[in-house]
Amino acid sequence: MACTDNQGMQNGKLHVVYGDVTLGVHGERNGKRFSYLFSYATGGPESICIDGREWLYRSPRPTFWRATTDNDRGNGFPLRSGMWLSADLFIKCTGVQVRANGIELPLPCAPENNRYSEDERAETIEVTYTYETITSPQTEIFVSYQVSGDGEILIKVHYYGKKELPELPAFGLRMIMPTCADKYVYEGLSGETYPDRKAGGVKGVYEVQGLPVTPYLVPQDCGVHMDTEWLKVYRSTGLDNSQKEKKETALHFELNGLAFSCLPYTACELENATHMEELPPARRTVLCIYGAVRGVGGIDSWGSDVEEAYHVKGGDDISFSFRICVS
Amino acid sequence: MEAEIKWLDDPEIFQVGRINAHSDHRFFVNDEEMGKGKTVLEQSLNGEWKFCYSVCAKERPADFYQDGYPDENFDRIMVPGHIELAGYDKIHYINTMYPWEGHYYRRPAYTLNGQKCWAGMFSEAAYNPVGSYVKEFDLNEGLLHRRVLICFEGVEQAMYLWLNGSFVGYAEDSFTPSEFDLTPFLKDKGNRLAVEVHKRSTAAFLEDQDFFRFFGIFRNVTLIAKPEIHVEDLWAKPELSEDGKGSLAVDMKLTMPEGTTGRAEISLTDKGGQMLLCHNLLLPGDRKPMPGQAEQKSGYREISGEMEAVDVGEVIPWDHQNPYLYLLLIKLYDETDRLIETVPYRIGFRRIEIKDKIILLNGRRLIINGVNRHEWSAESGRCIGLGEMKTDMQCFLRNNINAVRTCHYPDQIPWYYLCDENGIYMMSETNLESHGSWQKKGAAEPSWNVPGSLPQWRAAVLDRAESNFEYFKNHTSVLFWSLGNESFVGDDIEAMNQYFKDKKDGRLVHYEGVCCNRAYEDTVSDVESRMYAKPWEIKEYLENHPKKPYLLCEYMHDMGNSIGGMGSYIKLLDEFEMYHGGFIWDYIDQALWVWDEVTGKRVLHYGGDFDDRPADYEFSGNGIVFADRTEKPAMQEVKYYYGLHR
Repeated sequence: MACTDNQGMQNGKLHVVYGDVTLGVHGERNGKRFSYLFSYATGGPESICIDGREWLYRSPRPTFWRATTDNDRGNGFPLRSGMWLSADLFIKCTGVQVRANGIELPLPCAPENNRYSEDERAETIEVTYTYETITSPQTEIFVSYQVSGDGEILIKVHYYGKKELPELPAFGLRMIMPTCADKYVYEGLSGETYPDRKAGGVKGVYEVQGLPVTPYLVPQDCGVHMDTEWLKVYRSTGLDNSQKEKKETALHFELNGLAFSCLPYTACELENATHMEELPPARRTVLCIYGAVRGVGGIDSWGSDVEEAYHVKGGDDISFSFRICVS
Repeated sequence: MEAEIKWLDDPEIFQVGRINAHSDHRFFVNDEEMGKGKTVLEQSLNGEWKFCYSVCAKERPADFYQDGYPDENFDRIMVPGHIELAGYDKIHYINTMYPWEGHYYRRPAYTLNGQKCWAGMFSEAAYNPVGSYVKEFDLNEGLLHRRVLICFEGVEQAMYLWLNGSFVGYAEDSFTPSEFDLTPFLKDKGNRLAVEVHKRSTAAFLEDQDFFRFFGIFRNVTLIAKPEIHVEDLWAKPELSEDGKGSLAVDMKLTMPEGTTGRAEISLTDKGGQMLLCHNLLLPGDRKPMPGQAEQKSGYREISGEMEAVDVGEVIPWDHQNPYLYLLLIKLYDETDRLIETVPYRIGFRRIEIKDKIILLNGRRLIINGVNRHEWSAESGRCIGLGEMKTDMQCFLRNNINAVRTCHYPDQIPWYYLCDENGIYMMSETNLESHGSWQKKGAAEPSWNVPGSLPQWRAAVLDRAESNFEYFKNHTSVLFWSLGNESFVGDDIEAMNQYFKDKKDGRLVHYEGVCCNRAYEDTVSDVESRMYAKPWEIKEYLENHPKKPYLLCEYMHDMGNSIGGMGSYIKLLDEFEMYHGGFIWDYIDQALWVWDEVTGKRVLHYGGDFDDRPADYEFSGNGIVFADRTEKPAMQEVKYYYGLHR
């Protein structure tokens, strides 16, 4: 219902619902209604609904792991950096901040929200989640979602490095969509590319049907696309029982040179399989947008590390941002 | 002579009655046959054979070769094929360890000062499976009343052969043709051929390749009849001078009926049909056989036919960009000038040499944009056909691959022809890999290395070198002879090196293992070859008074999602003239299609998926193409970097 609850709104203005547990942000652009719910309970946005299509299965989370490659295992990387696997699985949301029109509000959950009404509006709403890792030592990640009047969400992610922390296989934001995508289209490099394996990638606009998992003998990280300008993920199915007809809609990301992968599995699901046939039936779309990716290496598969330039240091801050657009 | 089971245990017996290795030329009875590429002289024995599997020599039907042996209850098996893939013995993948690791304690004969007993090591083992094959055949018309040999292109790993109850011969060396003369035992109709194949013999110590361990008749079996006058061996020696002129010498061994004369016409034509050379060689009627070269069958004698170097003027050099081949044609006529045999061979003019420590091909620095290639099919293992070879060749050309190393054994013959035609530089490797005898958990521990410097193992490895040379010596694409892979180094490998050098064919000799013991540096390998050296290690060698030009016989280990950092290797090509590139490890994932009962789908399985232990699991898959020959995503990187220096 949230998706359609925007009566009486003016174009370009956000209708804000200060709920007890969620913050609703609603609007319309080019005849498409958008409706976002930012939860104080789940530690992230709980709904990104555009033109009647829900795009979130669970709240997005920072991601710290990739399914280890043969080279990763061969050089002992998971033995050095394994704590990032648990950090990827389990993370604590330690705080939420809300800004309306750039001004921080006392957190508007119950009973603070009793002072608001049904008719609340804003030019921009920004919700920032703070996460604390279970690594040793712990560190913090900030993820902010800034919604502007046209429904665009500017997502900023910041990782605070700590020099005692081991190298990361990757750092990004993982967004799981309720059903499998039909295809995705992006502008960037051809094929599967990594920081140390992208010279052969040719710039262009590419359409990838389905959510292919590269069939390495042992399932492992795959499908990364470096240097991507934009990405559109197309789905024609949802979990909403009332939506009978299949209608293909796209979610549009402006990535400005970031890397992404779009697969039907999480890193853990891939990590757990020793053969392709052990992977569970594909049900979701797992989109990871990366601010940093470790190279895959290639000198050998029994000890040599990825070249120095393609390591992701745990001690360095990592910051990146991208946009979700209502087009 | 009677066959003896003990040969399996003795490294000094690796063949009995086998025909000497010779060039892989084809021959026809007339021009029409040559045009079609098909001759009445050949009869394939591929197809369904009778078969009996036994778990060890003791349990085999030892007298199955005898005429009248009741074999009605034998199973049926397709030849060629691996016995394991026909469902008889466990499929097993293992890398460096010997396949019996943890199951049998074995030390190669004569190692450790001969203190370990080796009698019965394979012939009396409780597990050393045997395949007893029977094939009945009538001779096709084209083979009647001629000398007939049988060619087994590949039998893994030791085979005994009988025809019509008589013992014919014995051979090891799984990856080179083993030929036997059947003439004395043949009947026109109702022949019964019996082949007993043993999974392991002393050859196992020399054939420890990192692959699935199979046995059986896995390449073609063909009956081949010889015309009355026949080129037994051909060595064409085209040379390209520095000023672009070509010359050609030809050495032949021929057999012909005693007391007859004939002539050989040797010609060379270009693609436009222009004849560059036509030379007549009289085959004199000398009744005396050449000293020490008596032909086995009475009535025939062996003679040499030599054409000394003849200048043919300016030629188009052969290389990757323009693999121009000329047609060498040898026609044999009898004394009435009737055409008896036609031998076509396409050869190219090219010059491979080292000058100022730089490898030059036709005067230009050689760049190797190479890949190691195992023969592999996810359907049928190492039993592949021309279809797979052509697919692979197209993949090479599409992705700027210009060189191949036949790791770590000679490939099927058609692959060499394809490389000639398509300008793919070959490192033709001898069937030798004994890393289980000295590489223990990645560290060098050669206390019982074979062949090492053991005299009792020398003839076996020299025979392997000889087979490699003799079969493939006419292939223009072969630029390097490789002594084998990861077998450490000692006097025996040094002798192999000398064998190839003595041939003086201009090609370079390659062996990586000499880096294990630099004492052999001056007598083994023309090139400094390394595997998996890091870019900075290569630099270090090349910046510190390098002795030899440098190449990587294996690099960029493409296991799973890999091929990162390739640019650091390619950059070295611009920095060091003496760096020549290398061969990616490797071309194709080794995995097998199996039926998965859980998903009801055909899936790819790798080492350890067959309850095979010990195993090296997914280490079987390091290809730039998947096991089904689709390209891995990393291929675009290979194509890009291999396109930079062509």
